[in-house]
Amino acid sequence: MKKTLYLSLAGLLGVLGYLALGQATLPEGPGKELVLAKCQSCHEIGFVARERLSRDRWDGVIEEMELRGLKLTQEERAAILDYLATYLGLTPPPEIPPAPVAQTPKTGAQVYAACSGCHGPQGDGNPPNFPPLKGHVEALLKAQGGREYLALAVLFGLGGKITVLGQTYENLMPGFAWLSDEEIALVLNHLASWGAPEGFTPYTPEEIRALRAKALTPEKVLEARKALNLP
Amino acid sequence: MEKLDRRTTLKLMGMGATLLAAGPRVFAQQTPTADQLVKGKNPKLLVLSQRPVVLETPYEILASEPERTSKENLYVRNNVDLPGYTTVEGASLEGWKIEVGGLVDKPFTLEAKELLALPQSEVTMVLQCSGNGRSLYTPRTSGNPWQRGGVGNVTFRGVRLKTLLESKGVKLTEKALFITAHASRQGGATQFVRSVPIQALENALLALSMNGEPLPAVHGGPVRLVFPGFFGVNNVKWVEKIEFTEAENTTAEQMPRYRVPVIPNTHLPFLPQQPGARYPYNFTNSRPNWLVNVNSFIFAPLEGQTVEGPYVRVEGVAFNDGIVPLVSVEVSANGGRTWQRAELATQEKTFGWVRWRATLLLRSGEHEVMARAWDAAGRSQPLDGNLAWNERGYEYNGVMRVRFTVA
Repeated sequence: MKKTLYLSLAGLLGVLGYLALGQATLPEGPGKELVLAKCQSCHEIGFVARERLSRDRWDGVIEEMELRGLKLTQEERAAILDYLATYLGLTPPPEIPPAPVAQTPKTGAQVYAACSGCHGPQGDGNPPNFPPLKGHVEALLKAQGGREYLALAVLFGLGGKITVLGQTYENLMPGFAWLSDEEIALVLNHLASWGAPEGFTPYTPEEIRALRAKALTPEKVLEARKALNLP
Repeated sequence: MEKLDRRTTLKLMGMGATLLAAGPRVFAQQTPTADQLVKGKNPKLLVLSQRPVVLETPYEILASEPERTSKENLYVRNNVDLPGYTTVEGASLEGWKIEVGGLVDKPFTLEAKELLALPQSEVTMVLQCSGNGRSLYTPRTSGNPWQRGGVGNVTFRGVRLKTLLESKGVKLTEKALFITAHASRQGGATQFVRSVPIQALENALLALSMNGEPLPAVHGGPVRLVFPGFFGVNNVKWVEKIEFTEAENTTAEQMPRYRVPVIPNTHLPFLPQQPGARYPYNFTNSRPNWLVNVNSFIFAPLEGQTVEGPYVRVEGVAFNDGIVPLVSVEVSANGGRTWQRAELATQEKTFGWVRWRATLLLRSGEHEVMARAWDAAGRSQPLDGNLAWNERGYEYNGVMRVRFTVA
């Protein structure tokens, strides 16, 4: 009797813990990266993740976003609607997402889809809202402490005023802690492929795991940036 | 089950608890607190969105300020964040310009600081997001999941738009049927435009201060165009352009967003929908969220409280669009079979909320109390708020019910 109680308590705590972690993230499924890329350019992903709507009403929401400036090709629109209606619909999503490509290892370019909505597919940014990565990442990697800072900014976000290549930015960048250590290492190495100092050693998942333990806020990341006097 | 000894169980529990404890900390960067997003806000405000900033006042905090909502506790619903304007401190008037044009005889551009030299007026008004109460609709409607904390009662001070036009000797042309206000786009902000009917000119105020202090930047400082009696969305923050127009503007903020279905030119406040269905919104089959509808909130007792009996003081606030006075607030402790009139703080018409209180004789045990307001035009609140279900969840004003225990 007692054991049953302990067991259910353990289970309950586990489930609560899981829910606490899962709140602001999207369920896995084909199209997730595209949803992240497109929706996060204007608002945080929580707006999407918390909804549970029918296909018809999701169609209405996309229509509304298109009126507000969202640009989608027909294929992108169909993929996004399929994802939303399947994984954030009125009925629970399928247990295992039908994703045959899920077995092939991810590339940094694929992970970068989560960034391209704001920073542009080629890392050119979108001044004055979102800073460029191309060129700036290289400068960061050259600077003392820049390598660690770059990883922290991706993990925990960045909040407050920064100046990049002479332009001031004040937007809040959300953290991407929901990506795995492997994925973050991949995307950082993807950024470095646009330009890195001589003798750059690729980021490793172990390095990311160690940094993740710092559990910073976007404001703390900004303080770190200032303390290091980064470009 | 038998194989699971106590130690293993404790370990499992420990893992769950660690996850639970670590969740908010490790993921703190995904859910910053209200004061981290907006300098000077009460950290207890609920963060509905970080970008754009949307903060809800927890109900017990709302109820703790029954006279006036402080700048620290007032809700925030940004559709567009203006970069750098995320503080409850005021913003500088220096260099701020406002263009006034459209269907007027002499368009002009104003240095906002000129407003300081003109006669000032004051208005206490309810500022309420038209999505307030959205999460009470079923099935779920899309948008920020407001409980009842997307509302506040504040005092704005500034220059009446009418006074400004008179001081410049500017006259409207006959076709000026709407006031269309544009928010600043500085720092690359996306556009935000709303239109209200020309009748709103009567009380329109270019607000420079709130609650006796410089208008907080996050609430639209240095200058916000407020329309007393109108829902929050119409009170354009950081106003930089005011146009008099023949029609409503055609941005998404005016259509299909912030509208409810109607039968045109009827006095039906909204056309009831099949909950869960979509509606083909257009300019004639729907109306904008303009006038604040009649509503009443119970501030005491709070849900789940235990209070002394048998005489129980029930109190709260009620409001409408300020066009006619509220005439009564009624309270029922028997599911609406009988109603008892509450005492109102004023019988005058007002854009602010009106405090009310009633004393009920209640035996020990659990009770559910309802409150319903009426105004002089005979407008009231539906007992079943879901009647007004609309896909974006606007204008909920169903009768509020509170359950509590009498000791």
